[in-house]
Amino acid sequence: MSIVLDQVTKRYQDQPVVNDVSIEVGEGEFFVLLGPSGSGKSTLLRAIAGLTGIDHGRISLHGRDVTHVRARDRGVGLVFQNYALFRHMTVADNIEFALRVRRMKRVERVARRKELLKLVALEGLDERLPGQLSGGQQQRVAVARALAHKPQVLLLDEPFGALDAKIREELRRTIRAVQRELGITTVLVTHDQEEAFALADTIGVMNHGRLLEVGHPHDLYAQPATRFVATFLGAANLLLARQGADGIRFGATPVTAEASEPMYAGREHEVVAVLRPEEVEVAEAREQLSSNYIARGAVEEIAFTGALERLRVRLLDEPCAAQLLGSGSPAEARVEITRTQPERRELPLRAGAQVALGARRLHVLPTPISSFLACAPTEAEAEELAREPLLESLSTRMKTRVGVRAIDGLKESPAPFAGVAAIAGGDNAVATVEWLLRHGAAEVLVLPRNAPSPTRVYIHWGDEAVRRATLAVSASLLRHVSAEAVYLGIVPEGTPATGRAAPMRKLLDARVEAQQRHGLEMRTELAIGEAVSEITRNLSAGSAQMLVLGITDITQAVAAYRNLLAAQPGWPVLIVFRQPDVGLRASEYAA
Amino acid sequence: MNKVRQREPNVIPGFGITLGFTTFFLCAIVLIPLAALVLKAGGMDFSRFIDVITSPRAVASYRLSFGAAMLSAAVNMVFGFALAWTLVRYDFPGRNFVDAIIDMPFALPTAVSGIALTAVFAGNGWIGQYLEPMGIKVAYTWIGITVALTLIGMPFVVRTVQPAIAEVQRDLEDAAETLGAGRFYVFRRIIIPTVLPALLTGFTLAFARAVGEYGSVVFIAGNMPMKTEITPLLIFIKLEEFDYVGAAALGCVMLAISFVMLLAINLLQLWGRKRMMVSR
Repeated sequence: MSIVLDQVTKRYQDQPVVNDVSIEVGEGEFFVLLGPSGSGKSTLLRAIAGLTGIDHGRISLHGRDVTHVRARDRGVGLVFQNYALFRHMTVADNIEFALRVRRMKRVERVARRKELLKLVALEGLDERLPGQLSGGQQQRVAVARALAHKPQVLLLDEPFGALDAKIREELRRTIRAVQRELGITTVLVTHDQEEAFALADTIGVMNHGRLLEVGHPHDLYAQPATRFVATFLGAANLLLARQGADGIRFGATPVTAEASEPMYAGREHEVVAVLRPEEVEVAEAREQLSSNYIARGAVEEIAFTGALERLRVRLLDEPCAAQLLGSGSPAEARVEITRTQPERRELPLRAGAQVALGARRLHVLPTPISSFLACAPTEAEAEELAREPLLESLSTRMKTRVGVRAIDGLKESPAPFAGVAAIAGGDNAVATVEWLLRHGAAEVLVLPRNAPSPTRVYIHWGDEAVRRATLAVSASLLRHVSAEAVYLGIVPEGTPATGRAAPMRKLLDARVEAQQRHGLEMRTELAIGEAVSEITRNLSAGSAQMLVLGITDITQAVAAYRNLLAAQPGWPVLIVFRQPDVGLRASEYAA
Repeated sequence: MNKVRQREPNVIPGFGITLGFTTFFLCAIVLIPLAALVLKAGGMDFSRFIDVITSPRAVASYRLSFGAAMLSAAVNMVFGFALAWTLVRYDFPGRNFVDAIIDMPFALPTAVSGIALTAVFAGNGWIGQYLEPMGIKVAYTWIGITVALTLIGMPFVVRTVQPAIAEVQRDLEDAAETLGAGRFYVFRRIIIPTVLPALLTGFTLAFARAVGEYGSVVFIAGNMPMKTEITPLLIFIKLEEFDYVGAAALGCVMLAISFVMLLAINLLQLWGRKRMMVSR
């Protein structure tokens, strides 16, 4: 491995900007770190270069641990967005800078410089000053300068950001060609997905300081695992569907789609389906569709963009129609469609036309948190709960919706639960949690009033049967908040030293599973004592803490955690409930 | 811009009026008094002129004036740079306060700062009482003159260098560091060359100001002929002796040197701009 990052964390004022990131970049690989601004990608790149110290973790380059090695001894080349050329030096002096520092002989220096200028196609410009060159040429000089000392790793920080479109593409090709020719391991940081697709062997997508997914460009596009990657890499329509024993359904309409996770406990639940704009089929009527019907809609907007036609279609209210998840309110959500010219000629459309929509290809996300349902004694209180800052920011970041239900209403129509039930913290919380869990809720979020967005999330489960589900839910949650994840393993007091091996192993297993299945890096802590008091002690140790709690037995859990749940002001607690015996639970539910 | 060109409509209209106004003011305030000075000096015959400006007392005063000014400007270049660096690069409590104090020598009547310095550095002053036993006499020596001139010139260096340092992007230092350069190397090869034009400008301004300084120096200098007598003071003495022509002759020497200094500043700025900011 050429670059190995192991659980790298960087905090600014206690807020992690790079949060437990682990990456392995192979020899000669072109790795693109993609993310919106503020996602921590540039900080991570600077950490690799050694310009930013890290608070936790290790960095190694070509098998050498460089965590505490100074930037100048790391042997990396770095290219900046604003070129960062030495403006008082000629092109030749800029390129030879690293060689002069190393006291290389003049003859060798000149030979190396000529070689590099040829590589970046700038022969003959040796004696120019940077100010006399165009932006594209300056960036080429910067690339040549970064390569002069034959670094083992080339790092590029948004190198095309300051250039216009045409030069950008030209330089992109040059950099790709140079990288291939030298076979140098390269990491490029960008917010531009098109750039990432054009250059990368592997893309790593970052958001809120976390590395969400790593993979081949094509795999990430076709099979994203998270909502963020689905919508950030290209456009995507996110649809709320249900996964039942008979497969995936939109309302009552079954569709062909591969479920990414098996059903748990035999219970029907919500899933999120990704529908790419180019995978939507448009026809006049349902019968004319050659693919899966999903809904009817009215064309609202048509935009001509040259090769493609862009449509925005409003879904018409039908009881069986698919539910669209948008960033705004559900009423404003629109299906985005792109059609090629042949498709357009086959069925010319005007704004206002009513059409049937089909999905040629749907991808179901493996995310266990599909939506939220704010539950309170009355509808008004539930509305208020839905406006809680934490719940609001979670649903916005997850691009999902928050439903509202009065608990009395729930009692009257015991429909199967969908999504995460959110309730207010306080005295009644314990009873409500118990009632919800007994009536089919699988996850309950207990929200104290005005809880801040957490900076640290503790994860704990008592029974290994709920490990997988708890980890999945935690991972889904943590992709959307910039918080540290800490798994808390607890060994009862008085356990002999020999008895600690098993909990220790569980701890490591949990960490490996979180990393491999969900790409979630988490810390592990082993506490000795009584579970509830240890958890409470840890939660009280800092501000803005949160707990994800996996439970298997309602009665026992409610008794044990009563005080923690009822604490004032308390902490946000996400309870993940899974019955250990799947068969029993399914039959019970069927009855 | 020495050619009159007016093709595109300017933001400020009335080019003729503005040029006329500028020329008038320049004449009334700068050129006519200077011309009068030169004319006055021209009134004496050439050998006498040479005698006056090369008299031992005058030469000693030049040496002191220009030597002390040069030294104080050099001291300012080093410490002014350090001060400007600290103000630009670090955030510390009271930074704005320190930043405001920098301008104090601009505003303070120079006589006041001269008296203050004398009080502090005299043999029985706050600092002087500790320096005296060590054999360092500050007040009434060339050292005192240099200290006074340093105080007067300091804001010139700090204020010219500050924006130049602010312009040195961190990225440049980072780039140099990843290329293998150590801190001192970065300082010597990247930071100093980038800031140098501004630093030289600051140096020249401080030097020119120090050459012409009078108010603060007369108090701390002691004004002993041949020892601690600066040229402006000598001019003043000649005026008191009603030797107007002699004063004008010395004035001409100062004028010529000041002019060379200012010309040097402008050339330096031009040179720096050409090097750093060729059209992108």
